Amino acid sequence: MTTPLSNKHAGAMQRDTPTDRGALRGVTRRHFFQDCGVGVGKIALASLLAGNPARAASRRADPLAPKAPHFEPKVESVIFLFMAGAPSQLDLFDYKPKLAELEGKPLPPSVIGDQRYAFIRPDAGLLGPRFEFAKHGDCGAELSSALPHLAKVVDDIAIVKSIQTDQFNHAPAQIFFNSGFPLPGRPSMGSWVTYGLGSEAEDLPGFVVLSSGGGTSGGAANWTNGFLPGAYAGTPFRSTGDPILFASNPPGVDERAQRDTIDLVQALNRRRLDRLADPAIETRINAYETAYKMQSRAPELADLRSESEETLAAYGADPDAPSFARNCLLARRLVERGVRFVNVYHKGWDHHSDVESGLRDQCGQTDQASAALIADLKQRGLLDKTLVVWGGEFGRTPMVESSAANNRVNGRDHHPQAFTMWFAGGGVRRGVSIGATDELGFHVTDDPVHVHDVQATILHLLGLDHRRLTYHYQGRDFRLTDVHGHLIDKLLA
Amino acid sequence: MKRVQSLIAVATATVVASAVAREEPVDYVRHVRPILSAKCFFCHGPDEATREAGLRLDEEQAAYEDRGGYSAVVPGDPQASEVVLRIEETEPSMQMPPPDSGKSLSPDEIDVLRRWIEQGGEYRPHWAFEPVRRPGPPDGAAAHPIDRFIGRRLTEQGLEPAPPADPHTMVRRVYLDLIGLPPSPEEADRFAANPTDEAYGELVDRLLASPHYGERWARKWLDLARYSDTKGYEKDRPREMWRYRDWVIDAINADMPFDQFTVEQVAGDMLPAPSTAQLVATGFHRNTMTNEEGGIDPQEFRFLSVVDRVNTTGTTWLGLTIGCAQCHTHKYDPITHKDYYAFFALLNNSDEPTLALPSAEADRREAAVGSEIRALSDSLAERYAAKAATGEAPPLEDAASQWAEEIRGLLADWTPIRPEQVETNLPSTEVLPDASVLVSGDVTNADRYDVKLDPATPAVTAIRIEAIPDESLPGGGSGRRTITENDGAGLGGFLLTEVEAVAHGPEGDRSIGFAAATATFTPPGLEPAMAIDGRADTGWTVHGRQRERQSLVLRFAKPVELSPGEQLKLTLRHDSFYPAGLGRFRLSLTDSELPVEATGFDEPTAKAIRTPETERDDTQRGLVRAAFLKRTPVLQAEHDELAALRNQMIERPTALVMRERTEHPRETHRRHRGEYLKRREQVEPDTPSVLPPLPGDGPADRLDLARWLVNDANPLTPRVVVNRYWQAFFGRGLVKTSEDFGLQGEFPSHPDLLDWLADEFRSNGWSRKALHKLIVTSDAYRRSAAHPAAADVDPENRWLARASRIRLDAESVRDVVLESSGLLSPKLGGPSVFPPQPPGVTEAAYGPLDWVVSTGEDRYRRGLYTFNKRTAPYAAFSLFDAPSGESCVPRRDRSNTPLQSLAMLNDEVVVEAARAMAIGLVQNDSAPRERAVAAIRRCVTRPPEPQEVASVLRFVEQQRERLESGQLDALRVLNAGPSIQWTFDNGAQGWTARNDARLVPADGRLVVDATGPDPFVGVDVEAPAGRYTLEFDARLAEAGSIELYWTTLDEPTESPERRADAKAPADRWGAYHLEFATNGPLRTLRLDLGAGPGAAQLDSVRLAYGDGLVSLTAGDDPVELAAWMLACRALLNLDEVVTRP
Repeated sequence: MTTPLSNKHAGAMQRDTPTDRGALRGVTRRHFFQDCGVGVGKIALASLLAGNPARAASRRADPLAPKAPHFEPKVESVIFLFMAGAPSQLDLFDYKPKLAELEGKPLPPSVIGDQRYAFIRPDAGLLGPRFEFAKHGDCGAELSSALPHLAKVVDDIAIVKSIQTDQFNHAPAQIFFNSGFPLPGRPSMGSWVTYGLGSEAEDLPGFVVLSSGGGTSGGAANWTNGFLPGAYAGTPFRSTGDPILFASNPPGVDERAQRDTIDLVQALNRRRLDRLADPAIETRINAYETAYKMQSRAPELADLRSESEETLAAYGADPDAPSFARNCLLARRLVERGVRFVNVYHKGWDHHSDVESGLRDQCGQTDQASAALIADLKQRGLLDKTLVVWGGEFGRTPMVESSAANNRVNGRDHHPQAFTMWFAGGGVRRGVSIGATDELGFHVTDDPVHVHDVQATILHLLGLDHRRLTYHYQGRDFRLTDVHGHLIDKLLA
Repeated sequence: MKRVQSLIAVATATVVASAVAREEPVDYVRHVRPILSAKCFFCHGPDEATREAGLRLDEEQAAYEDRGGYSAVVPGDPQASEVVLRIEETEPSMQMPPPDSGKSLSPDEIDVLRRWIEQGGEYRPHWAFEPVRRPGPPDGAAAHPIDRFIGRRLTEQGLEPAPPADPHTMVRRVYLDLIGLPPSPEEADRFAANPTDEAYGELVDRLLASPHYGERWARKWLDLARYSDTKGYEKDRPREMWRYRDWVIDAINADMPFDQFTVEQVAGDMLPAPSTAQLVATGFHRNTMTNEEGGIDPQEFRFLSVVDRVNTTGTTWLGLTIGCAQCHTHKYDPITHKDYYAFFALLNNSDEPTLALPSAEADRREAAVGSEIRALSDSLAERYAAKAATGEAPPLEDAASQWAEEIRGLLADWTPIRPEQVETNLPSTEVLPDASVLVSGDVTNADRYDVKLDPATPAVTAIRIEAIPDESLPGGGSGRRTITENDGAGLGGFLLTEVEAVAHGPEGDRSIGFAAATATFTPPGLEPAMAIDGRADTGWTVHGRQRERQSLVLRFAKPVELSPGEQLKLTLRHDSFYPAGLGRFRLSLTDSELPVEATGFDEPTAKAIRTPETERDDTQRGLVRAAFLKRTPVLQAEHDELAALRNQMIERPTALVMRERTEHPRETHRRHRGEYLKRREQVEPDTPSVLPPLPGDGPADRLDLARWLVNDANPLTPRVVVNRYWQAFFGRGLVKTSEDFGLQGEFPSHPDLLDWLADEFRSNGWSRKALHKLIVTSDAYRRSAAHPAAADVDPENRWLARASRIRLDAESVRDVVLESSGLLSPKLGGPSVFPPQPPGVTEAAYGPLDWVVSTGEDRYRRGLYTFNKRTAPYAAFSLFDAPSGESCVPRRDRSNTPLQSLAMLNDEVVVEAARAMAIGLVQNDSAPRERAVAAIRRCVTRPPEPQEVASVLRFVEQQRERLESGQLDALRVLNAGPSIQWTFDNGAQGWTARNDARLVPADGRLVVDATGPDPFVGVDVEAPAGRYTLEFDARLAEAGSIELYWTTLDEPTESPERRADAKAPADRWGAYHLEFATNGPLRTLRLDLGAGPGAAQLDSVRLAYGDGLVSLTAGDDPVELAAWMLACRALLNLDEVVTRP
C-alpha cells in the first residue's frame, strides 16, 4: 500500500534493523539467487523458503536491492555530466548580440541590484560573445561554434537557458547542486536516488563517480551519502589503475587463491551464523560474494579495448588514457550494466581570464564525447531509459573580468542568476529550448528554473516524487529539495 | 507467503509504537504526542508562520479553547471534540490531516487520540524537559540496580534473559568496548580460568586505567566535535588541530569530570587565568570549517561557522535539533526563531586566534636565527672592508659620505601623527602610544579605514604610511591576511589597493591629488604607485617581507593647506578577493619641500644623513656608515640573506582557540529565513525559554552558557550524555534517537533507568569511568548475544534480553587488525599520521595533498591518529562509515557492504598485518594444529572449534601445494624476500665506478668523485623477478636528481623504461626510498648521483624484495610463511574480527 520511501520506513532502512518491505520485492527482481554460482546464495534461498526470519532479514537488509518507484518511471539511470568550474552560457548557448554592441560599457546598477561577486566589481564593462553562433538541426537551436559536435545531436536534447542558483562560490554551489544544501554533509543526488530505487547492478556499486580535469571544489561532499546509510555513498572510480578501490588482489594472489580465501572466510562465517543466528553475518557473507564478483567484473568493465574502433573514434577516447571521453564511454558501459546514477565530473571551466581560449580548450576535451554519448545511447536504444544532464554549478557574468594584479583579461566572473544546462533522454522533450534571459543575459525573463527544480525533475523522471523521497534524521524528514522544487513542466515530454 | 506477511506485521508493529493495547490507559507523552507531533504540529504547532486556522495542538489551553461554539479538544468527550470529528472525516475537504499533505492517520492512531480524549484529554509536558528524577531501582532479585530496571521490563515483555556470555567472549567484548583493542589470548585465558565477579571487576579497572581508554573514547567525542586535520571547502588546506585531540585523550584518561570537560571546551578561555590546556580545549568550537575559496564573503562563512557551533552545541549537550530553528520557529519543539538567535548570540562574540604554544625548540631556533642576523649585520663592515681592500669597492668612509650626499634630498623630517578619528567599514581599531593604529575584529574583502588627522603644520607636502609587524597579527606580520598560498606564504600580508585624501570640512570634502609614490619595498613587477592609480584591483603590498617594517611615501601634487575647521581625511582601501587589510600602520606627515621618498631610516639616522657632512659628529658618522652598509649594492647578497632571515617564519606549534571579545562586542541579529543577508532585529544572548533560565543577571556570555549546560537544573545534558554512552555499549540508546530528545525523538525504552543513570552520573562527580564501570558490571551487559527466541520477537533488542553484536567503528577495524597481528604502535598522541592507502584517493580533491606514507611506527598508529582530509577522507575509513568531520555526528551508521569486503581482503594494511602475524606464528616452532589455533585466537580470542581448525589447516595445505608447485610465487605473496645490504664498512663491497667517476677510499661510506659530466656507479646482483625497494643514504655536492637504473636477465641494457629517481638537495644527507618492479631476474643496479662536479657520497644501501618492510633470512621458509600469511589474511576477514561480540 505505501511505498518504501515514506517516513517510517526510512528509519527502518538502516542496517541491523531491517524491516523494509520494498526490499522484499527486490529479492525476486534481483536474480541474486539464480545467478550466484558459489553455494551461499542457494543456502540463503533455502533459508528464506524455510521462513527463517533472521535469514530472511539479511536479504531484506541488502540496501541496494531494487525498490519500487513512486510511479512509473521514464528512465532507469542518470548520467550527470557535471562541468565543474561553471562554463560560460553566454559563449556557448545563450547568444546575446547586444553584449557585442555594448562591449566595454557598464551595466546600470538597477540591473545588478545587490548581487555580490567573487572577483569583479559590479561596474565592470560588458563583454561580447567570444564565438560565432548559428542555428542547427531541425529545431534550429542556436549554438556557439565552440560546440560543433553538440550541434549534430541538437534535435535530441532540450536546452534550458534559465537555470538559477543561490550560490556564487564554487564549493558551496557544487555542493548545493548535488545535495540541495550549500554546506557539506547532506546526501547527494546519486545517494538519494540509490536510496530510493536501489540498483539493478548486482556486482557494481549503484552510484559511481568519474572525474577528469582535476579535483572538484566540492570534493567528496559532492557524492557523499550524508546522513543516509553508507551503502548509498557515491563510489569514485579511479581514472588509472583499478577503477574500484581495493578491487585488485594483493601482490602474488591469483584468482584461485582469492576464491579459496573467500571460501574459507565464508565457511567459518557460516559456522558462526549457525551458532549465533545474527542476520548481520549473513549480510556479510553475501557482501563477500558480491565483492568477489565485483572484483572479477571490474577489470572487464574498465577495459575499453573491447569497444569497436568506430565507437572509440566517435567518443575520441583512448582506451588507456584518462580523459572525459573515456569517462563518457565508461558511463555508458555502467548504465548498460544497471548502475543507477553516474556522475561524470569534468573540471576546468572556471574562466576568469581569457574565456575564449579557455572554452576552446574545454570544449575540445568535452564536446565530441558529450555528443557521442547521446548518439551512442540512442543507437543502442538506451537513450529512452537514460537521462543525460549537462551543466555546471552556475553561469558566468555578462561583464568582463580583468585585473592587472591578477593577470586576468577578457574573463568572466561567477554568475548565479542565469545559466544554461541541457538534458536528453527518456521523458525529456527533444529539440527544444526552454527559458530566456534578458538581452544582456543577466536575468532570467522567461521560465525561471531553480536548482531545486532540476533536482525535482531528475527524481521525477526516475519515478520519484521529490516531496515523498524523505529520510527521517535528527527529528525531521529531510529531502533533496528541502521545502522547494517544482517540476520543469516544459522539459517533460 | 503467509510467513512473509506475518513478518511484515511484526515489522509494522515495531515501527508504529503508538498502537496501544485496548486495556492499557493511553499515555499522553508516550502515545499521543508522538502522533500529534508527527502528523499535526507541522501546521498546528509552535511555528506561527505555518500555523493553519490559528489552531495549535501542542498546548493544552489552545486545544481546549472555545473557538466559537466548539473546541478542538473537549476533555472526556470525543464526540464533541473537533479533532476527533475531523480525523474521522472521510470527505477530503474536511479531512485531517489533509490528504494532499502526504500525512495520514492509521485506524490505530485515530483510536489512540479518541481514547485519550475519552480518558480526559490530559496534556503533560515533554518528558525530556522535565527535571531528572531519582527513581529508586525497582524491587527484584538482581544485585545490580541496572538489572532491576531491565528485569522489570523483561518480565513485562515476557522475555527470558539470555545466559551470561562465555568468559572469552566477555573479555573480548569489554576490551573492545573500553579500550577499543582486542585482548591477547593469554589475557583471555587468565580470566577464563577464574571468571569470578571479582576478577571481572579487576579486569575492568585495569582497562579503565589503560591509556588506550582515552584513545577509544576520544574518538567518539571527536565525532561530535567534527574533528578534522584540514579546513574544508574548496581549498581544504591542512591545519594544526591535533593538540585539541591530545587534550581530549588526556582529559578522558584523567577522568576529568564531564562538567569541567564541558566548561573548558566551550569557554576555557574565559576561566580565570586560563592554562594553556584550557585554551587548547576551546579547539572544540574551532573545528568548524574555514572557507578559503577566492571571492567568498568571509563574514557569511563566519556566520555559518557560528551556525555550526549552535547546532553542534545543541546536539552534543542538549540532544536537541536546535538547528531546525535557524530559518523559522521549530516545527515540533518549543524553540522559537528568536530563541535560536539568542542562543547564537551566546556563541557569537568570539575572535578566533591561533595560539602559539610554548616550545623550547622554536625558542632555540628563533634565538639561532637572531644570532645569525646579528652576526651577519655585525660583519657587514668587515665584509665591505675586504672588498674595498681588493679594489672591488671604494673605501667605506668616502662611499658612505657620497651616498649620504646623494640621498639627503630625499629625506624629510617626518612627524608621526596621532589620528583624531578612525572609522572603518567593520574592523575595530585602537590607537597605540606610538600613534600607530592596530586593527582587529572582523574582516571583509573590502576593508576601508577612514582616518581623520589634524596636521600641526600649515602645508603638508607628503604622507608616510608605515606598515608595522605586530605579534597580534597573523604570522607576526603587518597585515591581516590569513589566507595563504599552499606553501604558507602571504600570512600576515596586506594589499593596500587605494589611498585617497580629502580636505574634510564643514562645507564638504575637497579632493587632494597625489603626485608620486615610493616604498621601501615592493615585490618585483609591482609598483608602489598602484596604491594611487585609481584602480581597485592593484595596490601596494610587501608580500614576502611582511615581517619587517616597511613604508610607503605619497607625495601630494601640491602642498596641502587646510582652512580652519578642515581636517585631512585619508581613506585606505583594501579591495581584494580575500581579506587583506593593513594590520598595524602609522601615519607621518612632512612639510619638507624636497622631493621626499620612502627610505625607511629611523629618525636619528635620517637626521644624521640630512646633516651636512662637515657638521656630523662621530655618532652621526657611525649612523651614516651603518645605514650605508645596509644599502650598498656592494653587499647585495648579504642584504638579501638578511631579509630572508628576518622574514623566515619560525614554525611554532600552534593551536586554534577561542577568545571572547571584551571590547567591540558583536551584535546578533535574527536572520529572516536563516539567510545571512536578511538581517532583522537585534537579539540578546539567552538560552531557549523552554529550558531552565541562565542563572544570574546581566548580559549572558559563552561562559554562562558553558556552566548552564552542566547546571543541576539542566535536565537534558546528563540524560543525553549517559544515553550516548549506553548506545556505545549496547548498540542502541535507551532513547534510540540519541541525536534528538525533542518531541520527534523516540520515547525512552526505560525512562526510569535513564533518569537513574543521569542522576547517578551527576552525583558521582560526572565521572565517565565510574559510569562505564557501572554499566559494564551489569548482567544486562554481560549476556550472551545468541538468543534466537528474543531475536525473533525483539529484533532491535530494545528490551535487552541478549547482547547485541556491534560492527566496530572504522578506526577500530584498523586497530583490531593491527593489534591482532602485533603491528599496532602503542604510541599515544601527537600529530596526525599518513598510513598507506591506494594512490589517487586524494586525486578527486581540489586542494592537492601529497599523501606521503609515514615511516617507522607511525605507519602503524591507531586509527584516530590518521590524517583526515575533509574533501578526500582516508579511503578505508569512509567505507566503514567514519564521518569526514564536516558536521557533528552523534550516532554513526554501521553498514555492511561489498566495498568493505574488498577493503578487508585487499587493503595493504590487512595484507601487511597478515604477513606480520604469519611471521610470528611460523617463528614459533609449533605443530600446524597449534599454529592454526593460535592464528584463530589472535583474530577472535575464543578457542576455536575443531572443524574451524581443520578448515584452516586444509586451506594452508591447499595453498602450500600451490606455492610449492609454483602456481603461486611465495615471495610475491609475501611481498618480501631476502635483502642485500652494503654498509661500505670494508671498502666498496662490489660497487664500482662505471662512468665519469672514481671511488675514493673512505671509512664506512662510498665516496664518488666525478671525473666527467655523467658520473655513475653500479653493482651486480642476482635476485629473482619481482617488486623491489632500494633504500640508501646519499649526499650530493650540488642539488640534483638521483637516478636508479636496473637491468634484468632478459633486458640486459639500461633504458629509461627501467628507471626510478628522487630529488636531492645540495650537500645534505638524505634517506632515499625507491620502489621498482622487474619483469625478469634482477642483474645490475646503477645509481647516477647528480650531474655536477664534486663528490657524492653513498651509505647504508639496502636492496629489499617487496615493500622492504621485512626481509627474510636464511632460516626462513618462504612457502611456509606465504601459506600461513594467506590463512591469516582470511582469518582477519572473519565477521568476528570486525564485530564486537
